[in-house]
Amino acid sequence: MSALTQILSMPQILSMPQILALTWVTPLAGAILGASILAPLVALWFLKLRRKRRVISSTLLWSRSLADLRANTPFQRIRFSWLLLLQILAIVLIAVALAQPEAEGLGASGGRHVLLIDRSASMNAMETAEEDGTTIDPPIARLALAKEAAKTRVRALLGGGWFSKRASEVMIVAFGSRAEIRSPFTDNISTLESAIDAITPTDEATVLSEALELSRAFTSNLNVADARGEKNELPVGELPTIELYSDGRVSDLATLALREGEGIVYHRVGTADRNLAVVAVSADRPPEQQNRIQVFAALVNPRTEAASVTVQMAIDGTVRAVTPEKITIPAAAERDGQWVPGRAQVVFRPVEQPNNASIEVAIVEDDALRDDDAALVVVPPAKKLSVLLVSNGDAFLLRTVLEALPVERFATMTLGEFEAATAQLKPSGYDVVVFDGVAPAALPPGSYLAVGAVPPIDGLTQFGSHEGVYPRIAREEHPLFRAASIDELFVSKLVAVQASKNFEVVAECAEGPMILTLDRSDLHLVYLAFDPLDSNWPFQRSFVNFVANAVEHLGRAGESLTGRALTPGEAISMRLPAGARNGEVETPDGRKFTCTIDPDGQLTWGPVQLAGLHRIRFTPASGEGVEMRLVAVNIANADEARIAPRSELAIGTQTVQGVSVGDSRRGALWPWVLSVGLVIVLLEWWSYQRQVRV
Amino acid sequence: MSSAQPTLRKLDDLLDSRLMAKLDGIDVMSRKIFSGKLQGERRSRRRGQSVEFADFRPYVHGDDLRFVDWNIFGRLDRLFLKMFLEEEDLSLIIALDTSASMRSGSPDTFDYARRVAMALAYVGLVNQHRVSLVGFSQGRVERASNLRGRRKAADVAQWLLRQQPEGGSGFEEAMRLVGTARQGRGVMIVLSDFLFPEGFEKGLGMVAGRGFDLFALQVLAPQVVDPSREGGIHGDLLLVDAETGVETEVTVTPELIRLYRERLDRLCGAIRAYCTRRDIVHLVVESSTPVETLMLEYLRRRGLLR
Repeated sequence: MSALTQILSMPQILSMPQILALTWVTPLAGAILGASILAPLVALWFLKLRRKRRVISSTLLWSRSLADLRANTPFQRIRFSWLLLLQILAIVLIAVALAQPEAEGLGASGGRHVLLIDRSASMNAMETAEEDGTTIDPPIARLALAKEAAKTRVRALLGGGWFSKRASEVMIVAFGSRAEIRSPFTDNISTLESAIDAITPTDEATVLSEALELSRAFTSNLNVADARGEKNELPVGELPTIELYSDGRVSDLATLALREGEGIVYHRVGTADRNLAVVAVSADRPPEQQNRIQVFAALVNPRTEAASVTVQMAIDGTVRAVTPEKITIPAAAERDGQWVPGRAQVVFRPVEQPNNASIEVAIVEDDALRDDDAALVVVPPAKKLSVLLVSNGDAFLLRTVLEALPVERFATMTLGEFEAATAQLKPSGYDVVVFDGVAPAALPPGSYLAVGAVPPIDGLTQFGSHEGVYPRIAREEHPLFRAASIDELFVSKLVAVQASKNFEVVAECAEGPMILTLDRSDLHLVYLAFDPLDSNWPFQRSFVNFVANAVEHLGRAGESLTGRALTPGEAISMRLPAGARNGEVETPDGRKFTCTIDPDGQLTWGPVQLAGLHRIRFTPASGEGVEMRLVAVNIANADEARIAPRSELAIGTQTVQGVSVGDSRRGALWPWVLSVGLVIVLLEWWSYQRQVRV
Repeated sequence: MSSAQPTLRKLDDLLDSRLMAKLDGIDVMSRKIFSGKLQGERRSRRRGQSVEFADFRPYVHGDDLRFVDWNIFGRLDRLFLKMFLEEEDLSLIIALDTSASMRSGSPDTFDYARRVAMALAYVGLVNQHRVSLVGFSQGRVERASNLRGRRKAADVAQWLLRQQPEGGSGFEEAMRLVGTARQGRGVMIVLSDFLFPEGFEKGLGMVAGRGFDLFALQVLAPQVVDPSREGGIHGDLLLVDAETGVETEVTVTPELIRLYRERLDRLCGAIRAYCTRRDIVHLVVESSTPVETLMLEYLRRRGLLR
């Protein structure tokens, strides 16, 4: 294909600031035709007619009538003529028709279409007004608007009509943080409408890349190697038009790029922008008041004006505290080209709650998106731990730290005593066992903090040591590092270990792992691959915090004091007592799903789609009664809280102008333009004939 | 629309003997009664010495006693004078437009106007009226005045044959000259196409209201009335005004013809309205209308002839 042909035939999705976004399929062809015909036409009108001279009695009754229809001398001053005007108009219209304009708002266009329907959290925003200001009463969820628009589009695409090619096939993809094909390519309108109707809302983030990849998977093929031996994805037949129904709040927009020849139409859904969100909530039991819970929350304001809100805290559904004054959340702002939402922190006074509880922090004021106005956290019951320190008797440092912890029982043993007590892998009876520089021959089930010596676990092998290392990477979000930064840690001697995949490295240096964890159903371990006395850590406050965190973490068998809240899109992964069975998950909307629990007690279910409290019920190994666990799922996403629809999407180098869903039926305009042009040609011919007929 | 060279060369061309015989029986009829210079065959409003009794009036000192009605004096014992209508001759003035615009169409407008003028003059002459001919163009007038009697028909014909259309009309100036140099009241007939660039109103105004019984005969060629007729104009033309030389480029289209007709109708309507207001008889006549028909039917119906 020559370069010119390529240019002429390449579909171009251009942005225009009109409601009706025009798309010119072959703009150059129209321009060439217009330029090549208009100029000669006007030049012809400069030619002058040599008229026959005729003497009459009086010219009193004759008006000047210069409708020259023929010309035979070179030049005259051009003058107004309806014929000239009609000719120019006809040529311009034919040239415009040749450029093949397509408009949002008319009919359908042919080819294959993939409809991507956003069902992320922000699509749950309730719309109360249309773009033209018309009130929507009762309010409709943004997703419902998108689904309705998509169904209208399907009917327009497959319905055909005057001058409009019937689309060959349409595919429906619903996406949030993950994408699902709801209907593969088909031309069955009822199938497609059913697929659209079946799309349910989620509270997930908006990730477009997976949806794009999914749609491309159906339209391209991993094809045979090219001349250089590289395998390329080649399109299968005609590239589809991707039509996105969304509010444009796409989290991975910066990483997206359209392929050559790939067009995307962005149907902008919704107008609402009034929203505030609770993006984080955590709870803590103060060390000296284990029966009380203190709750912290973070609020964001994605709008450009500050907002004042009242925030309440409920425990197990009962409101226990309300902020005495309104909390002011500053306005969002642009900093260094980045959008930064306004943030505010809320701290509630500690409340008495010795038992486990689900805590909900909610904004009282109403806004467009209710789902992110509340965030939950599940707090296990207050529990005092029993801790055993196993050493060679010289564990001064760790003993001092552990003695200071608010534990119920603290004891020390030598390695021999420990091994005797746990003969035949009998559990030690302590919530947490700390090994300071010693390692037993075998580890019974339990929770262990091992320092220095490598514990005897499959998959953890010592192969030497390193000297003088600094930590390079640490998973600072891990509960172990809460208020325990290791940025200034220096270790003079590090045990070099090799860990299997079962281990999680939470801190490492260039030479290898420094801190590892293992989380099995029967055994929980935190391993510090160096003796603190071989480092500068004991001189830093973070060491004490780290030990305290490790004891808390291990003592609650992997559950921190406040169970980590999931975000929609993640899977629930929970360790239940071994032998648990008959797992059932109840989602916040009351639906119940059965789930499998492996023999170790590991429950995995998901991904979760809705924010809120998920209840996990199971029958314990004893077979008596039904136990329940709570899992909190929060949107906790400042990007999703920003619900104001984007007017345009910048994807790679292209900027795609949003089209209001009200105008989102797209169709070829050129047949209409051509028809008008032909009518004008006829009018011009009629006008000419009328003038020449005497 | 201009015609070929004139074909009128002698009296017979202007007025053939057959029409002449028919015209012998008719006379010019004036809607008004005028005073003349000679006693003639017309009644005059001036009371005088004719035999036709008109009225009585009381005798006052100085009246001619010969006109006292003694019979009334015998019955009433009062003196009354008998009043008689004095019979006078009629002045017939035929004003012929000899401007260049009259040379147009087929049949030629000017020839037709001359034949009509000849016929009217003949009627006047045989009825012993005082006939005057006035040719006007370019604001000048050429006269043949005070002709009377059948024998003067040849003079009239000679005068008419001598006239050639040229130049503009100068209608206003010509009418001013005619109006101011009138020799007695009478019937005045203006033969013209009334296509005057300067307008007809001022010209007619010069003679209207000065005692003339005025007839405006608007003579138009058929091609002037309807240019789409055979011999009319069509195509892309540069029209040149025969009088003013003004050039107008036209492409003749049905629309243009329609516009032309509208304008002509408007002009004729304006002339008719003007004439009606000033008690002038206006008559449009195409040059294709037989002179006999015009004389014996149209002009009779309009009250000029009887």
